[in-house]
Amino acid sequence: MSGDFLTMLLLVLVPVVAGVVCLALRKETLWIKEAVAVVAVIADLAITLSIYNKDLMETAKWGGFGLDFSLRVYGLSGFMLLVTAVMAALIAVYSTAFMRGRGRLNLFYFYFLVTVAFTNGALLADNLVVMLFFWEGLLAALFGFIAMGGRGAYKTAIKSFIIVGVADLCMMVGIGITGLLAGSLRMSEISLQVNSLGAAAAFILLMIGAISKGGSMPFHSWIPDAAVDAPLPFMAIGPAALEKLLGIYFLARVSLDLYKLDHGHWLSYLMMIVGAVGILLAVLMALVQKDYKKLLSFHAISQVGYMILGIGTAVPVGIVGGIFHMVNNVIYKSCLFLTGGACEKQAGATDLGRLGGLRAKMPITFVCFWIAAFSISGVPPFNGFFSKELVYDGALERHWIFYLAALVGSFFTAASFLKLGHAAYHDKLAADNQKVKEAPAAMLFPMVFLAALCVVFGLGNAIPLKFIEPVLGGHGAEGARHSFSGLPSNMLLVVMTLVVLAAAVANHFYGARKTGRGLGAVDHIHHAPVISGVYQRAERRYFDPYEFGMRVARVISRIAWGVDRFVDWIYDGLAVKAATGLSRAVRFCHDGAYTTYLVWALAGVVVMVLYVLV
Amino acid sequence: MSHEAVLLVLVFCPVLGAFALPLLGAASEKLRNVAALLMVVVSFVCSLALLGPVGRGQTVTVTFSFAPGFGLFHADMLAVFMAMVSTLVGSIIVFYSWDYISHYKERNEYYLMVVLFLGSMMGLVFARNLIFLYLFWEITALACWRLIGFFRDRTAVVRADKAFLVTVFGALMMLIGFILIYNQTGSFDYGVIKERLKVDPLPNVAAILILFGILSKSATLPLHTWLPDAGVAPSPVTALLHAAVLVKIGVYVFARLFVATFTVDPVWHQAVPIIAGASAIVAAGAALIETDIKRIIAYSTISQIGFIFLGLATGNPMGVAGGLVYILMHGLAKGGLFLCAGIVEQNTKVKDITKMGGLVKTMPVTAIAFLLCSFSVMGIPPFGGFFGKYMVITGAVNNGQVAIALTFLVGAFLTIIYLMRLFNLVFLGDLKIDAREKSPAMVASVAALAALSLVAGIFFSYPSSLAQTAVAQMLGTGVPR
Repeated sequence: MSGDFLTMLLLVLVPVVAGVVCLALRKETLWIKEAVAVVAVIADLAITLSIYNKDLMETAKWGGFGLDFSLRVYGLSGFMLLVTAVMAALIAVYSTAFMRGRGRLNLFYFYFLVTVAFTNGALLADNLVVMLFFWEGLLAALFGFIAMGGRGAYKTAIKSFIIVGVADLCMMVGIGITGLLAGSLRMSEISLQVNSLGAAAAFILLMIGAISKGGSMPFHSWIPDAAVDAPLPFMAIGPAALEKLLGIYFLARVSLDLYKLDHGHWLSYLMMIVGAVGILLAVLMALVQKDYKKLLSFHAISQVGYMILGIGTAVPVGIVGGIFHMVNNVIYKSCLFLTGGACEKQAGATDLGRLGGLRAKMPITFVCFWIAAFSISGVPPFNGFFSKELVYDGALERHWIFYLAALVGSFFTAASFLKLGHAAYHDKLAADNQKVKEAPAAMLFPMVFLAALCVVFGLGNAIPLKFIEPVLGGHGAEGARHSFSGLPSNMLLVVMTLVVLAAAVANHFYGARKTGRGLGAVDHIHHAPVISGVYQRAERRYFDPYEFGMRVARVISRIAWGVDRFVDWIYDGLAVKAATGLSRAVRFCHDGAYTTYLVWALAGVVVMVLYVLV
Repeated sequence: MSHEAVLLVLVFCPVLGAFALPLLGAASEKLRNVAALLMVVVSFVCSLALLGPVGRGQTVTVTFSFAPGFGLFHADMLAVFMAMVSTLVGSIIVFYSWDYISHYKERNEYYLMVVLFLGSMMGLVFARNLIFLYLFWEITALACWRLIGFFRDRTAVVRADKAFLVTVFGALMMLIGFILIYNQTGSFDYGVIKERLKVDPLPNVAAILILFGILSKSATLPLHTWLPDAGVAPSPVTALLHAAVLVKIGVYVFARLFVATFTVDPVWHQAVPIIAGASAIVAAGAALIETDIKRIIAYSTISQIGFIFLGLATGNPMGVAGGLVYILMHGLAKGGLFLCAGIVEQNTKVKDITKMGGLVKTMPVTAIAFLLCSFSVMGIPPFGGFFGKYMVITGAVNNGQVAIALTFLVGAFLTIIYLMRLFNLVFLGDLKIDAREKSPAMVASVAALAALSLVAGIFFSYPSSLAQTAVAQMLGTGVPR
């Protein structure tokens, strides 16, 4: 085993072993579990730093049939590993303070570290099956993470497990078809065209796996439930960060490396439609939420739409924008969840009706929130602005309708964050919150760090883009003409963005003044005619694809049950009746009278004679 | 000891030893229990010992000195792999029985039948000719009949009769098929049959008849309903039927005859996956409706057996190896599920899952073992079931049977849903019956099976290399990359 292989493997083994150690520490220990977790993620970060900018490729024998254990680090995956390691370190530190005093910490750190390890594994894998092994392996940790939340959390855990599990199985078949078409399972060796039905089926199946991991519609409905039920660091590390990162990373690999998706292809349109619809529907749901975490969770769904739209454009600027937006989203969305956690921990609530006026009590959290909120809303010069502009540029290049969808999404994003910020941090301080203090240092540090990154990746957007641009591969020649970093090249789009943001601000002040409070700033939209009816149905889960899927499953199982009972009736009913009927008939022939038997014997003789003669 | 002797010990230690168990039981309960376990373990160890020569590509054959060309027993990788799986899971089940069955009467008969059952499975697995195959096949049917009817109440007896009648009816059909083969080839020996059928393929009538026997034993649609009904048996028996022995017999014989020995009409590469797919979906759907814990797991077995048939029927190396891997992984995980169900059902005294709930609080180890085994059956990595599912479905894809692969995908979706429903209703929510896991031996058994499911996934290269060797021998091909 070479040193490089071992180094890569350590990225999986170190967190797993540390996780098992944490799991074994069942007793209440003061700080040992926390220490083990923090040391493990720091070791993970150190190992990642030693290899992230290298080009490594190692293989070991594993399952046969092309199932070799091949790992690879190269430009994009190295950068993703680095993002993972940084996020893991920050959220581990945050958790040491946030989770203190809660039960079952051994389970929490176990799931946390296994999630980090398997994410690393999936990013490192070059063989598709090895990737699927780690990718789908995350399911078990996802289930445990959510189930350890409050009472009733297990229902959400089951829902999440079923949705993500089903999508992962689709991906499994996609990988099988891809392996057959390419004659190899190694991503570095595969380069296919989507020119047959099989290839298109494989592409869609892989895409289902990727976007469901990213939390896109229609595989999203577990995320808002998990936001309420699961411990908050899970949201920050899972749906906000690592799952998005993995999903979009793989989506990029599928549409750039495994398959060369051209921008005229119908699958490109399919991706853009999924992205655009996801942006709009999810942001409209986010708009009317009254819970800090739930509102953020709908944005986690909406934002992934931008990434899918960007990559789906299949033009260089869109692709780069989509991936850059994912990285930015990891940063600002995690930061937002962490600020939500700070409010939950310090003020004891995430219900926006019970928060308010925290600006004075939690000034650092307040500043971090607004920086991240500006980023997600696409306000210059924060990071989200630059990536959104790239996505806009790509979308407009394909069709103005996609651009329009993205722009409308931005309006509602800004509107909902103005509402959230206003309700939580501005408005009047609630009576219960008079004694609230700023969050402890271990929670502030990750928030501040991420908020700072929002600025650094905005003003210094060349730093992350240096790692992202090489993904263009086949699109490189087209991409070479573009300059992605620095200020956006299309100033008209920037003006449009600013107009939309100004409209969102105007809308906010109109609504806030009308209702007299920040929380009511979008009530005029929420309670508008027609729209309010749609919202009511959505809140009653009329449009939850999961509920629909379960109804289909119930129909299938009813039919199957009918078939099964019918078959069973053949044995228990028909066969028994036939046997008793036969025996009754035979018994009728044996009545004990000599004459009857004589008649039978004679009849037999006649039959034999006829047989012999004829 | 020569390899031939090891092979004979492997088969006859449990087959003959089983009859000594009631005598030992008259002397001492403990002695009988230990002896029963030892007999199965001896078979397991012997199969490990055969792994050496067989793994190097050799085969071990036992013949009559006066009838050359007529093999009695034969060990190749397929047989050794199957024997290993059955005796490994079987050993754990016998160990679990020590406590479970101590609460009931007729213990001597129980151990006699269980060990005879496992022993005759060994005889069947290593048989070199159709006569031995049939002989041991029927011994398993007899043992199975007594074991399903173990509790002797009217329902148990009727259900045992149903299982016996269906499987024996199937076996008789199969016997006619064997006679047709003899008429065509002039031999019952696998080697001779294989050579002769290469020139003159198996007639479809014989194929249908033999398949009838196989499907009845492996409880595949439409010959499957006896298996959920057999849930009236004690839980270790159901575990044995589902995970280690009975239903795997049909699958094994399919692999042995249809894949490794016969040259069959290509139509069977289409027809068997279609039957298996229908079976997988119907059973999975039924599992989602059923409310009896053991019947749900039984439907799950029927459904999963469909996946194994799919893999084996593809006839390509990936699919066949997937089928074999699936046999192992399913054996470990399904054995674990049934033994967990046994702990639950023995301590709560109910089988209806709607009356259970919240047991994770009082039975934590059982709950976790159940969940981990469920993950393996669902095909979630890092558990072993993942590889089985991947390889089987990819095997179908490699044959160009994408529609079939997608059908099985639906089956896999339903698997996730019904197992999650089961886990939810039994272990999560509010505690309805306050029952605890009393026996450490039983809990240790299920924990071991769950751990093995995990280990077999993480160290997948070991089972995989065995499956690859087996496939290379079965298909007569080199091992692919």
